[in-house]
Amino acid sequence: MESVMDQVMATVLDADVLPPRYLNEQLRELMARGESVVVQNPRSRHNLGVALPGPGQVTFKGSVGYYCGGLSNGGVVEITGNAGWGIGESMARGLIRVRGSVGQSVGASLRGGTIVVEGDAGPRAGVAQKGGVVVVGGSIGFLSGFMAQRGKLIALGDAADGVGDSLYEGNIFVAGRIHGLGIDAVIARPTAEEVDDIEAIVAEVGFPLKPREWKQVIAGRKLWYFDKREGQTWLKV
Amino acid sequence: MAESLNHKPSQLGRSKIWTPHAIQDIQAKAELGHYQIRGFSTFFSIPTLDQLTFLPAALTRLPLEGYREFCETKTVLGGGKPDLVSQPLELDIPIYIASMSFGALSRNAKVALGLGASAVGTCTSTGEGGMLEDERQASKKLIYQITPSRYQLDLDHLRRADAIEIAVGQGAKPGTGGVLLGAKVIDKVVEMRQLPKGIDQRSSVRHPDFLGADDMQIKIAELRDATGYRVPIFCKLPACRVAQDVKIAAKSGVDVIVIDGMEGGTGASPEFLLDHTGIPTLAAIPAARRALEQIGMYGKVSLVVSGGLKSGADVAKALALGADAVAFGTAALIALNCNAPLYAEDYAALGTAPGYCYHCHTGRCPVGVATQDEELQKRLDPEEAGERIASFLRAVTMEATMIAKSCGKSDVHNLEPEDMRALTLEASAMTGVPLVGVDKVVAPWD
Repeated sequence: MESVMDQVMATVLDADVLPPRYLNEQLRELMARGESVVVQNPRSRHNLGVALPGPGQVTFKGSVGYYCGGLSNGGVVEITGNAGWGIGESMARGLIRVRGSVGQSVGASLRGGTIVVEGDAGPRAGVAQKGGVVVVGGSIGFLSGFMAQRGKLIALGDAADGVGDSLYEGNIFVAGRIHGLGIDAVIARPTAEEVDDIEAIVAEVGFPLKPREWKQVIAGRKLWYFDKREGQTWLKV
Repeated sequence: MAESLNHKPSQLGRSKIWTPHAIQDIQAKAELGHYQIRGFSTFFSIPTLDQLTFLPAALTRLPLEGYREFCETKTVLGGGKPDLVSQPLELDIPIYIASMSFGALSRNAKVALGLGASAVGTCTSTGEGGMLEDERQASKKLIYQITPSRYQLDLDHLRRADAIEIAVGQGAKPGTGGVLLGAKVIDKVVEMRQLPKGIDQRSSVRHPDFLGADDMQIKIAELRDATGYRVPIFCKLPACRVAQDVKIAAKSGVDVIVIDGMEGGTGASPEFLLDHTGIPTLAAIPAARRALEQIGMYGKVSLVVSGGLKSGADVAKALALGADAVAFGTAALIALNCNAPLYAEDYAALGTAPGYCYHCHTGRCPVGVATQDEELQKRLDPEEAGERIASFLRAVTMEATMIAKSCGKSDVHNLEPEDMRALTLEASAMTGVPLVGVDKVVAPWD
């Protein structure tokens, strides 16, 4: 989205010139003032755009490394390339959009806000999620949604093996094929209201609406309590 | 004769294999279908710091006046990298309160620990459950712990911390996440941890967004960046492969390494993990020191030791072996009133008695320390209990300085292995401290 607006309105920071520490300092200051920032040459550097405030926005022109947008309290982040591990980890508020694909643990321990991945997500997407929404346009990798406590993880593509392992109250919605469930995960048919809710989210973050076969993965709750009646489940863990 | 012996109840009681506990354990598993869970720590007999003794000054060196002369106790943790840590953790004494969660402990217990620690110029730690506002208010200095579960990991909380501790594990149950049984998962805990109410919470052990040392290095950089390169980053390790783990942690960039020995306590753990995993604090300290020395980082990366430490003598021995500070967990809880001879009928209701209680896991702590029950925790007045903590910390500091002065040291941090002798072969072999009598190290390391 190389727009005229970017060139005219945005402050441009160059990651080839500013080390991440100083780049982030400036970024926070500008975003706290509500400004728009463009970061050129991110070149997959780690820890870019960590602990960001709202209400400003930033576009990384290229790919970022680990923990971009991690621990943030607000703001709108766009990454035009791919992203490494832990994108938006522990974020409380804000919106992150990755135009490409992401590595492991997108939205790890996410507390609030929304993360949109237009491509695929690696293993453990939405791991330990505590709130917020992660929407992945493609597939999600092994052990996604592991121990997710609350919030929604939505995959328009497939889910790899082990999805929803040891879930608490997290909700995983998969439109594609589920290749295998994690321990104590069960497939449920979402209600009409839940489907409406999910499709509204999907549309809102900009994916085209089309007929989808939604599967919901939720906790079987056999691991929630120490109880000898569930001995067979416990043997596996 | 043989027949009459068979009928004596004492015969099986003599068995060192089929002990009353072994029998009870098997019968409990047969009933429950899973391992037993309990609080406290291992009850096994393992080598401890009691196997070391100090050699105070006589004619070879000059002692200081133990009852009156000054001995420095000021302790700085994480002061080795001024460009990355602008505010190292400065403590008036080399002892702080170990990481224990709100959840495992009551609100009143957490506040009391904060008040007590603050009164003597030291710090406490949030433990796993997030930052309790009352605890932050009560604690002049507070370590914020980041555990694999990441309960309520909040940027503002991080920025209000005086140090950040990445918990890799704990001595009580290395390689396994925490346990908080349903009785303690009450509304406030649910709000902070975002769990279903009343669930038997079993925390994760792997961090959600880093797996190995290389990732941890990036995570450390992230935490520094998020907190403005101000506070030191701790890493709490269970004492297992100490030499390797310490080197990896130090190379990953942490400022302070906390080694938690197998004697470390817990609010709840599978019992067999308490007894059969990890290594003792006694063996862990010299291994950690040696590891840091081998990579040239001893003195640059601070070393804290915890796990079963209970007195000023233990503090002095840990410092002499190479620690910069120690953390008290169980000992602090006992100072709060754990196992105090009060409310005996409530101990009896748990099937135990004052002095024998390890029932933290039930949430029915008779003295209001390890509980979330409103009525029970009223029994612990934070101000009064905080004073007990302060008094206890003053007393143990006094003990440690008295030992230091008897050894001729005007700073507790000047205690060294040469100030001690090992009372047993195993302690000598583990610590490299010469064995009493022969004055030789029994099994030199290298």
